[in-house]
Amino acid sequence: MDLHRLKPHFPWITLVALIAGVGLYDPGFLKPENLLALFGDIVPLFIMALGLTFAIYIGGIDLSAQSMANLITVVATVTLASLGFGAALLCVLVGVLLGALSGYITTRLFVPSFISTLAVGGVCISMSQWLSGNRGLNMDAEQRNAIFGWMIGKTGIIPNELFIAAALLLICVFIERRTTLGRALKAVGAGEMAAATSGLNVARTKILAFAISGGLAAVAGFLFSIKLSGGAPAIANGFLLPAIVAVLVGGTPLTGGVGGVINTAIGTMIVAVIRASMLYLGIEATQQQMVFGLVLIVAIALTIDRTKLRTVK
Amino acid sequence: MYELKAVDKKFPGVHALKAVDFQVRRGEIVGLVGENGAGKSTLMKVIYGAYQPDGGTITIDGRTVRFQNPRQAMEKGIGMVFQEQSLIPNLTVMENIFLGYEAQFVRLGRINWKTMAAAARAQLAKVKLDIDPGMVTSKLSFAQRQLVELAKVLTLEERVDGDLVILLDEPTSVLAEEEVKLLFQIVRDLTSRASFIFVSHRMDEVMELSDRIYVMKDGAVVDVVGRGTSSVEDIQKKMVGRNVDKDYYREPRQKPYDAARELVRLDGVGLPGRIRDITLSLHAGEVLCLVGTEGSGREAILRTIFGMLTPITGTVTIKGQAVRAFAPQAAVALGVGYVPRERKVEGIVAGMNVFENMTLSQLGRYSTGGVLRVGAERALARDWIGKLAIKAHSETADCGNLSGGNQQKVVLAKWRSGGSDIMLLDHPTRGLDIGAKEDVYDMIRDMCDDGVGVVLVADTLEEAIGLSHTILVVKDGQIRKSFDCRPGAKPALFDLLHYMI
Repeated sequence: MDLHRLKPHFPWITLVALIAGVGLYDPGFLKPENLLALFGDIVPLFIMALGLTFAIYIGGIDLSAQSMANLITVVATVTLASLGFGAALLCVLVGVLLGALSGYITTRLFVPSFISTLAVGGVCISMSQWLSGNRGLNMDAEQRNAIFGWMIGKTGIIPNELFIAAALLLICVFIERRTTLGRALKAVGAGEMAAATSGLNVARTKILAFAISGGLAAVAGFLFSIKLSGGAPAIANGFLLPAIVAVLVGGTPLTGGVGGVINTAIGTMIVAVIRASMLYLGIEATQQQMVFGLVLIVAIALTIDRTKLRTVK
Repeated sequence: MYELKAVDKKFPGVHALKAVDFQVRRGEIVGLVGENGAGKSTLMKVIYGAYQPDGGTITIDGRTVRFQNPRQAMEKGIGMVFQEQSLIPNLTVMENIFLGYEAQFVRLGRINWKTMAAAARAQLAKVKLDIDPGMVTSKLSFAQRQLVELAKVLTLEERVDGDLVILLDEPTSVLAEEEVKLLFQIVRDLTSRASFIFVSHRMDEVMELSDRIYVMKDGAVVDVVGRGTSSVEDIQKKMVGRNVDKDYYREPRQKPYDAARELVRLDGVGLPGRIRDITLSLHAGEVLCLVGTEGSGREAILRTIFGMLTPITGTVTIKGQAVRAFAPQAAVALGVGYVPRERKVEGIVAGMNVFENMTLSQLGRYSTGGVLRVGAERALARDWIGKLAIKAHSETADCGNLSGGNQQKVVLAKWRSGGSDIMLLDHPTRGLDIGAKEDVYDMIRDMCDDGVGVVLVADTLEEAIGLSHTILVVKDGQIRKSFDCRPGAKPALFDLLHYMI
């Protein structure tokens, strides 16, 4: 069996090996309750990574995801009292529109996505600071529980967040594999020139990818703010790096075209297990980003398709 | 003094150089001519060290040499003046001239710009160019840059003992007539210092400048002619002269086209750059061939019809509808299909399978409310894999792993299965073996029988003549001549060459 054919299977092999490794260290880790809680805990990050997958799948990147989530926690907290359930819809709409704006800047103004999304992210941060008066805000706990309490409860031993994650994952798998949009995304990621000469609307496809990414980052932010019953301009900081790691270790390379949302689900679980194992190894929370930075570099170096790159700047 | 003996070079599937003997004497200007694909550029790459020959020997003054890379060849006095210029536009002239060889001007870790400028001036004097060496290269005219390039190569004179051999690859292709004269004068004067190998498509220039001319065809040197011993026509015959089998291009299958059904019409179309005043008309069942040298504008005309380029003047009419929004989506909707020259980059999406590639241009037809009908897609692909005898293990085979001929069939199936009846084919047989080429020729005739109009940019002139109903000769962005190519009354190669060059 040569390495090339094994490569697509690396992510789940890594996941199983990691879980087994930590399980050997502490058999209690393998208890279903523990694993479910572990994965339930990481759902907001997963949703963000799910959105990022679309941006990375077409060969772009969305660096605004974390700032978007920050902004949405503030928007959700500010508007919950007046809009009720409408706050959720407003949040997703904001995310989709800002994502589409990144896409528009990338495709129509020819600004590379890493810089267009960085800029839109900057706008998001500033908006969240302005809206919140640059301080933490709290939701009215009763109202939150009445309207959105179902999001954070448990059904049996299963955290409800996992149902939300599963539903979103199913929708994304459907988009990716069964719709014309999914096919167009794959074509743009794997061979943008050929997609253009086949008459696909490449710009619209890319804008939609960034809109989905923005929308899901907003869902992530919204769920996070419900969970914490509040919002603040820096509350989701520390999400971006692990979310990108989740996409890349899952097997969607920065060059795009292969991998997909199922891969990101596996990648996120890998991130969750790495995080848990750091607790066992006594790595402090303040040191975690160092580990994720290193994992990110290794993941990119291992997954990137060098035949698609002439120069790297 | 510089000699190649029985040099051989093979690439996968192509025998690029077949036992080539080549010789350059001291102070000589040697011409090298041949059609596209005859092996000229491979030979040049062997000479300046970019390729290593598989067989044969290279000798300089009787001593055998072997170059691993161009730098080693330069150390033996072999320099290349590139067609696509190798100067870096945002550096100064002197920085460019001594790029990679600055060490000679470094004192205490710092470049002494004054001595470099003086040395650069000395080099520029060799090519009679009186410019400030501190000037930024991008401010120079194209002809001046060409001379700076030559001056850069001439720095070999100081660095290398022994003789120089300088290759000039299409140095005149973008120069005006006076500039060409000036360049030729300089080259002649420089023969006291160096020998030259001159490669050009312009036969008259090669005849004028060269002492001897090597004529290449199909990877072999077919003749060496001395100055004044041969006419332009004779050389051209040697370049292309092979027996063309009428059946090879499926000429007996060529039927008259339907002159009453006009599919595409261009009226006075001009594009930014050199393309101007393009007027043509494509009919149902017609093969319209655009013929011209590299860079004459053939590809731009195809891309205009496909909506990838937007004309600044004139009108494009497709099936009676004037095109307003120039976008591939609009062209595809009107039934235009495009088979690009870069098959692996623009033709197929490597990493997607056969059925995904085939339906890429017609996703709307294989989906309901944005949801794909994968079963129908796969059925379509199976159908066309059978029809065109595509060699793939199934419709789920990755197109990136198919052979060139089968990839091309997938691209053609993509458009034909979608009912495209205006086909733009850019070098559809490039890099294919003979059997695959014949398959493509058959498909072109099949399409014409179905009433499809084909605009073709052919790989060779014989192919153009053999396949087409009409030939338009494009030169410098304009249509210079139109030929009617009825079977039995086809123009000769030399008629076309006359208008091309």
